[in-house]
Amino acid sequence: MSQAAAGTIDHHHDPSTSTGIPNKKLMMWAFLASDCMFFGSLISTHLIYRLNPIEGNPSPVDLFDIELTSFSTFILLMSSLMMALAVAAIQKGQLVSMRRCLLTTVFFGLIFLGCQVYEFQHFVYEKGLTLSSSMFGSTFYVLTGTHGVHVAIGVLWLCLMYVRSFKRPENPNWLSNQFLHGATLAASLVLTLVVSMGFIHAMEGDAAFGAALGEFFAHQWLPLILLAGALVALRLFARPRGAVEFGQGNAIDVEGAGLYWHFVDIVWIIIFTAVYLIEYI
Amino acid sequence: MDTRLPNPEQAHEIARYHLFVGIAMALAVITGIEIVIIYLPIAAWIIVTALVVLSAIKFLAVIFYFMHLRWDRLFCTILFFIGLILAGGTMAALLALFYEDRSEAGGIDAMQSSVPAWERLVG
Repeated sequence: MSQAAAGTIDHHHDPSTSTGIPNKKLMMWAFLASDCMFFGSLISTHLIYRLNPIEGNPSPVDLFDIELTSFSTFILLMSSLMMALAVAAIQKGQLVSMRRCLLTTVFFGLIFLGCQVYEFQHFVYEKGLTLSSSMFGSTFYVLTGTHGVHVAIGVLWLCLMYVRSFKRPENPNWLSNQFLHGATLAASLVLTLVVSMGFIHAMEGDAAFGAALGEFFAHQWLPLILLAGALVALRLFARPRGAVEFGQGNAIDVEGAGLYWHFVDIVWIIIFTAVYLIEYI
Repeated sequence: MDTRLPNPEQAHEIARYHLFVGIAMALAVITGIEIVIIYLPIAAWIIVTALVVLSAIKFLAVIFYFMHLRWDRLFCTILFFIGLILAGGTMAALLALFYEDRSEAGGIDAMQSSVPAWERLVG
């Protein structure tokens, strides 16, 4: 029987544990508290070297593109909204809604990663800023790169959660049966990354908006068609076909992934201010 | 009974949905304000203070609403804030230490000498 039909579950309290908090949630909060210290040390290292600049550092204002960074910040904030809605959906037992929100979060996360990859590539090949070219490059890449790795891990985690939500009861071969579904998901993820990087590349050029959009469609028509096909296929695969072993009882798993994702977002809120905005004052 | 009216559970669900969307929009607006503020011709300390305050508001909104700290047991908040305070304290201490180092011992360039920073500070 679906747990959604079994009645309402209190997702914030668990009377079976001594703290009254689900163990998975407690573990996640403890991990996030430790990760705060990790990022705290990276951010303070960057700020110390900015307060005490070494000769040879490039001017960050000449490097940064505040429009691109603001766009990626907005995307990450919206991904947090979708993640919160995914958690709310599964807490109500709305599986289809949760899957949609989860996939949207993943796509937003990939767009953010696309922006970051584009930014790094731009810095390295056009501005000559590498990990070893200056102290600024070292602290900047280590800090933002570590955050990017966290985002990538989050995307992978959410993808696994999405795949897990298709587990069939009493069917040990459910994962191999989902091979085509998984392949479509992987293809759509890669295509999203390719298309978003192509879009950013077109928009970052010197051309006007209309011309840039035309250039984007001219260069990215094939990935765009493939992405549209992959999304349609994903929708077909995601149609309900019998009972699945995933419901309201798994809300704590989705919430754990959600806590991690929101943490990545709050770290970016700090990085956006401390690394990017502060340079423009 | 009028079935078109939402029951209390549905009403609660709709309210929470609107709350999340409202918070996300507020976060986007605050981000916009942050971007505008850095170009304003006002004193740097005012801009820095405003940026810190706005970032703190965004940070707290995400952890208390999106991360459900508002509805969870207080222990989760305490646990997370232990890490946060330790991280903030470490950052403040490091920044204070090296700010002092900059003003009194000649900056990071001087730190690269054979004498460790803490010895120069104590000395």
